Amino acid sequence: MKNKGIIIFLLILTVIIVVVIVGDYVSDRPNRSRPNPFAYDVEAFKSVNPDLIHYKESKNFRIGFQEPAALAIQNKKIYVAGDRSLKIIDLSGVLSSEFNLPGKVQAIEVWDGKVFLAIDNRILIYDEAGNVLDEWQPLKENSLITAIAATENNVFVADAGNRRVIRFSAEGEMRGEFEGKADEDALHGFIIPSPCFDLNVNDENELWVVNPGLHAFENYTFEGNLRSHWKKTGMTVDGFSGCCNPSHFTFLNDGRYVTSEKGLVRIKIHKRSGEFEGVVAAPEKFTEEGQAPDVAADNQNNIYALDFDKKVVRVFKPKNSTGL
Amino acid sequence: MKKLKYIFFIFYLLTFTLPVLAQQQRFPKPEFESGYVQPSTQTPEPRALSLEYFDVLVLLVVLSLATWLAIKKRSRQGILWLSVFTLIYFGFYRNGCICSIGAIQNVALSFADPTYAISLTALLFFILPLAFTLFFGRTFCAGACPLGAIQDVVIIKPISLPKWLNKTLGLIPYIYLSLAVLFAATGTDFIICRYDPFVGIFRMDAKFHMVVLGISFLLMGMFVARPYCRFFCPYSVLLNWMSRFSKWHLSITPAACIQCKLCTNSCPFDAIDYPTNEKEVLKSGLGPKRFLVYALLIPLWIAAGVLVGKQSHTWLSKANPDVYLAELLISNPEIKNDPDNIDVQTFLASGKTMETLVQEAEILRGKFYIGSMIAGGFLGLVIGMTLLNTVVFRKRQDYVPHKGNCFSCGRCMDYCPVEK
Repeated sequence: MKNKGIIIFLLILTVIIVVVIVGDYVSDRPNRSRPNPFAYDVEAFKSVNPDLIHYKESKNFRIGFQEPAALAIQNKKIYVAGDRSLKIIDLSGVLSSEFNLPGKVQAIEVWDGKVFLAIDNRILIYDEAGNVLDEWQPLKENSLITAIAATENNVFVADAGNRRVIRFSAEGEMRGEFEGKADEDALHGFIIPSPCFDLNVNDENELWVVNPGLHAFENYTFEGNLRSHWKKTGMTVDGFSGCCNPSHFTFLNDGRYVTSEKGLVRIKIHKRSGEFEGVVAAPEKFTEEGQAPDVAADNQNNIYALDFDKKVVRVFKPKNSTGL
Repeated sequence: MKKLKYIFFIFYLLTFTLPVLAQQQRFPKPEFESGYVQPSTQTPEPRALSLEYFDVLVLLVVLSLATWLAIKKRSRQGILWLSVFTLIYFGFYRNGCICSIGAIQNVALSFADPTYAISLTALLFFILPLAFTLFFGRTFCAGACPLGAIQDVVIIKPISLPKWLNKTLGLIPYIYLSLAVLFAATGTDFIICRYDPFVGIFRMDAKFHMVVLGISFLLMGMFVARPYCRFFCPYSVLLNWMSRFSKWHLSITPAACIQCKLCTNSCPFDAIDYPTNEKEVLKSGLGPKRFLVYALLIPLWIAAGVLVGKQSHTWLSKANPDVYLAELLISNPEIKNDPDNIDVQTFLASGKTMETLVQEAEILRGKFYIGSMIAGGFLGLVIGMTLLNTVVFRKRQDYVPHKGNCFSCGRCMDYCPVEK
């Protein structure tokens, strides 16, 4: 036979092609899939060296919400939103007042006696008695408000849906917005794979925004120009891991960062420079694979964590009595 | 010359395929205690829209150039270098995606699922080659398809396949197209992409068995020219249809054929039709009677195809992971307790109820019921038409390229001694 060797070779290749295709199809079935060989075992990162834990849980109190939503602290009062209502609690956990809201709260901020609430992607402003002081226009259709930060003349709103920060005047007039691009040609600004997009203004009136996809804190001028940033990626205790961390943060009164992470749930403190300082609550304190707690701090540097899984507010007190 | 080809092939094999095997998965990244600082997370950007449109522009330019080189310039050399560019740009640089072949699935899904919006780029990648083919023949296959290009450069000693084998294997693309459309339209799988033998080589990150598949096709392509294009490519079905209507198709000779027969062995794809020997046709007994019988059989072939499709829809629907999972959980409920079964554990963790899963599986099976019958009917029609074609007598006096099967590669032109 002419080309006998080639024909045998071709027949062998044909068999290989058929076997590969059929084998791939048959092996990729739900009852034949093998355990994930690349599963990342994070057990080792759940335990933290006790010397690094600078806080201890002093108390916690149930807030009576089925779906707690957000937490803020101002003037020695805790403001907790959830289940279409807002509760104002003193620092010992005693309920001061409560009022109903027209919808589910997405974010909360308290400034100068005014309670700013994000409900249905618009900002509503209440006084502490539950009277509506103002109601702003809703944001765009794809908006998803995840954080509010207020200063004397400005209110900053984090819109995770459109991956941008919107700046309003205190009266609700939109003054500008920015998407965290270092320059016009940059392909991306804020990277927000999930609705975790927090911002705050610190003691020096600096606006800091989390860029969760980059595990970064970015400082912007009020006009939206990037001024400085720091970031730290890693599964170890000094870094941030996963798709979008830190999920929440707040400032201590001296400008240090209190960060809250999801996935490997933990709360930590970073110095003003971004350097890791210590742990507030290690992962073993939280539900496995739970949500990142919303965090707030009082003037004594006590840290309050809204535990969405256990539906309680947990109070963490510095081990060092000076609060440092 | 032969030696040069072998050297080129070995160089190609070493350069482009062995690194694929060498790449081992390094995830999870270890946490070093030595003070090594891991590089920070890089979040890859989706390709900018302007660059996607640039890809469309490149495709348009390459198609135009290929057409000009094949029909006007009549330059095999030019087509060869253009296909090398295509291999580098659309293959290794663009990683074989998006490609016109895979775009079939996007188009099918966009017709079947109103919530799926096909991108303009995918749509243009699907339409442009078809539009060019409709007027100029398969110049896309000649110079603008990276899958064709990678096979074209490894052709070393092409052998001619018997006609019956060519015809039989030529049915595979129709089956592949039917299954690809059925699976895409039901949201089951994009099998064209999944079993693309070369995309893993382009990306240099394929699983081992897919590398084996790609290399097997390339080795086969040394002797059976462009095996994927001829006997697998589902897009070739559409191109074949379009090309048959092409008015300005490549011709072997630029003027009148002088019957020198120099081109007879020039086509490695068996795509040259010879002049008809009328005496042999008459002797073979092919005539109107057989044509009539075969034509009347076509409805029967279609009916048989519909019946086979109907009978096989249950089996085919098991390709859908939801259908398969629903059946698995019903027949083996104890599998819910298997912590190592990722698919089952993912389903349980999703919070979806068993009732919802079963309902979704039933809807999918309904879609497969209709889809399988349509696919079966289509395949019946193809078989009927293929048989009918065997008894159709087409009078040819010259050596001409088969408009449907010709890749417009221009090899035959180099053999023609006739000058304008």
